[in-house]
Amino acid sequence: MVYALSAVPFLAALAILLTPSDRTALLRRIALAGTGFSFVLTLVLFAAFDRSRAGFQFVSSVPWIPSLGISYTVGLDGINLTLCLLHALVSFAGAFMAVRTTDRLKTYLFFYMVLSGAIYGVFTALDLFFLYLFYETTLIPLYPMIGIWGSKNKEYGAMKLTLFITTGAVLSLFGLLMLVHSAGLNSFDLAALTRALQAAPLSDSLQRWLAPVIVLGFGVIASLWPLHSWSPIGYAAAPTSVSMLHAGVLKKMGPYFILRVAVALLPLGTAHWSSWLAILATTGILYAGYAAIRQRDLKFMVGFSSVSHMGYVLLGIAAMTQTSLTGTVLLMFAHGIMAAATFALIGWIYEQTHARGVLDFGGLAKQIPFVGVSFVLVSLASLGLPGFVNFAAELTIFVGSWTRFPWAVALAVFGILITAIYLLRAVQSVCYGPVNPRWKDLKDAQTLTEKWPFLLLIGALIVFGFYPRALTALVGPAVAALTGGQP
Amino acid sequence: MTLNLGILLPEWIALGALLVMLTGEIVSGQGAWRWNRAIARASSVVILIVLLFFKGTKTQAFGGMFVLDSFAVTFKILLTAAVFFILPMCRGLGAAHGNRPEAFHLVLWTALIGMFFLVSSRDFLLLFVSLEIVTLSFYIMTAWLKRSLLSIEAGLKYLVLGSLASAFLVFGIGLVYTASGAVTFEAVAAFFRANPRAPLMILGLLFMISGLGFKMAAVPFQLWVPDVYQGAPTPVTAFLAVGSKSAGVAVLLRVLTEVFPGWADQRMLLFGVLSALTLLYGNFAALPQTNIKRLFGYSSIAHAGYLLMGLACGAPQGSSAVLFYLMAYIPANLAAFWVITLVGEASGNDEIASYRGLARRSPVLAAVFFTALLSLAGVPPLAGFFAKFLILFAAVRSGLGALALFGALLVAVSLFYYLSIVRRMYLEEPENPSKIEVPFDTRALLVVLAAALLLLGFIQAPFLAQAVRSLPGLG
Repeated sequence: MVYALSAVPFLAALAILLTPSDRTALLRRIALAGTGFSFVLTLVLFAAFDRSRAGFQFVSSVPWIPSLGISYTVGLDGINLTLCLLHALVSFAGAFMAVRTTDRLKTYLFFYMVLSGAIYGVFTALDLFFLYLFYETTLIPLYPMIGIWGSKNKEYGAMKLTLFITTGAVLSLFGLLMLVHSAGLNSFDLAALTRALQAAPLSDSLQRWLAPVIVLGFGVIASLWPLHSWSPIGYAAAPTSVSMLHAGVLKKMGPYFILRVAVALLPLGTAHWSSWLAILATTGILYAGYAAIRQRDLKFMVGFSSVSHMGYVLLGIAAMTQTSLTGTVLLMFAHGIMAAATFALIGWIYEQTHARGVLDFGGLAKQIPFVGVSFVLVSLASLGLPGFVNFAAELTIFVGSWTRFPWAVALAVFGILITAIYLLRAVQSVCYGPVNPRWKDLKDAQTLTEKWPFLLLIGALIVFGFYPRALTALVGPAVAALTGGQP
Repeated sequence: MTLNLGILLPEWIALGALLVMLTGEIVSGQGAWRWNRAIARASSVVILIVLLFFKGTKTQAFGGMFVLDSFAVTFKILLTAAVFFILPMCRGLGAAHGNRPEAFHLVLWTALIGMFFLVSSRDFLLLFVSLEIVTLSFYIMTAWLKRSLLSIEAGLKYLVLGSLASAFLVFGIGLVYTASGAVTFEAVAAFFRANPRAPLMILGLLFMISGLGFKMAAVPFQLWVPDVYQGAPTPVTAFLAVGSKSAGVAVLLRVLTEVFPGWADQRMLLFGVLSALTLLYGNFAALPQTNIKRLFGYSSIAHAGYLLMGLACGAPQGSSAVLFYLMAYIPANLAAFWVITLVGEASGNDEIASYRGLARRSPVLAAVFFTALLSLAGVPPLAGFFAKFLILFAAVRSGLGALALFGALLVAVSLFYYLSIVRRMYLEEPENPSKIEVPFDTRALLVVLAAALLLLGFIQAPFLAQAVRSLPGLG
């Protein structure tokens, strides 16, 4: 059943490829149906997941290349189920934005479905080969999607993003190959590797140089400072649904791989470098926060803001306590939804005005109340206000990291203050104040189809904000199993 | 001495076809005979079918000079399939260039026959003679465009440097003969087992590697590549990139594993260093290119670097990785060069600037080229990714971790120049917005090639198993 999560979007991509490009209504329906199916399936899996049991569930395996120990194994534990849920929400909401494309719709939707399927592939596969294969498959659609349908500086942004992420990816590919070779199991199976390496860890010296290779390699896509510079430029250039998927979900692959590979398989090496990771993460929080204050372009601001938020995620990883890791996964979910919602809202406004300067607008909350109020809500979520899942996530990270890096937590809390500065300023100048007469024809989201993506995402933020246990009950035991402790 | 002529059936068919083509061409006189391409295509299909029946056999002919094992069969299938796809590319080499176009197919077919004997030879003399058949055919084909200065220059360059490489090779064979007194693989291998440190043998081997490194386009024998790739007619460039390189790799692989299996440590060092240099040179020199065929010349050098990395690792992981790499490399290059041929004919030049807005002028060509380029860059789920994965994994497993890291990082560099072409095709608007018409059969075959890349990249196991089965020296 888990195979279907990625297979259905891929089949939808194939169906789109075979549909004539002038049947736009059909193309849109296929895209929505493809992402919608996986969305519903994820909800079913989320409901059916047995929370009383540790370890992977819904596991199935197909031998793929037996001579190399590669099999296409899928399965879910609390961590990747949470991330699948994140992707299900964002990709389904993003599809509603993607179908609004007018230029070369067929090609765009084809790439969108390939991207969506590959992300499901990453979050369901339990074999390092397939994890990496799907991870790099996301690169195929990204370059043309940003390059063709993007906006400001799109060629530069697309190339920079692709090259940065590829460099990180091949670095980590080398790390993964070294790891599999050194483990000596002749197997790429993640569960088997985790079991074996927890029982008999690799030598300390090997871990010490392998862990930074993995962390830096996947740190690029997690926008670990100072490897983050592709991120604001790339997001500013990308079309709305790509920004949503990339900032919301793709970026979370970095921490996900670091959790699964560095923390779980190379704990000694990761612990050895954890203070350095904490320093980089904290620098990222503050640096990107200050950079966000100075941005005039809303998308750049949110891009830097996402770098800053990823700093919290990485700080939680650096602390390596069960509480902080739980908070990390929770924040990956929370930030993903929030970032996607923000980019969707900015996209909504940009689509009509072709402006997205922080100072270009005013009084949107009065003029287009639904979008305006949504913007206020996601900004408050981004601030980590109680009532949103972001609050629970950040608090868990702070509590979990306090014992190891009190100084970093202090600086990170200060980082929230910086976040408040740029977000409240943006909210004030975009949503309140006098209405800018230039945009008097601005339309609000009116029909349910138009409102649906925003309702979905903000709803998720609030539902899990009031009931974070729905997620922590999943994530906690999985994190405990990851670090080899008892749940 | 047994003759065992039956196992030469593919060669007999090829020779028969050659005879028919030659007779028809001579008897009919200037321009009247138009059947050579059709005969060649039909024969290549027949040969492919015949070869499938020879799978899994290992027999010898001419007292062991000629062998038909899985290794030879696999390479013959690859080469014949390559020719099958290259023949339709030659449509443009018509009378406009002042030559008898039908004669071109004769030369092309002769090169194929030379390669057939090359991958089957287990005797240094047969190896040298068949290699010369291939090389001589390529001299003629490279200089085929009599009125193009670039083509003549390329032919001359290839002739001079190619003769030098042949001289190295034959000198190496001579040294080995001096030391061991034998030219058959078996006898030389036996002598080398008994005297693994004979200096003349090693020196001879080094000379042979130099000669074959020329075919593979490995640094420091790569000097001819960019000019010849640029100047030769595009189908010939395709055949050079695909056929000549594969044949060189095949011979090197067979000689190293069957004749000099004990030469392992120095081999790792030598090929490791060559691989690093080749990767570095090919990838970085490709960056500033403005001519697409020149770019592919450097890209071909870069790919030689990965092949050398696989050769450094040795059997079985390295060798099987090399075989899979070629299986992935051949369709990607065929697809790419076919697009280059068609775009070149439509725009009259091979500048990368002519690819501006290709996605609007011909979506099919752009999509196929996109797939081929990404496969060459090694992006999953395409064939090139798994090929590079195998090579890097083999390097890691053989203790060449640093080289693997180097090769992995250069993937990112190569992605830059491949994506620059994609940028031209998809992101820029065409200067000349006229559509490029692609006939249906061409379109179908191009899609087949692109689909093959996807197939090899995602359902890897059967092809990898075939590569493992085809390792030289196993049967």
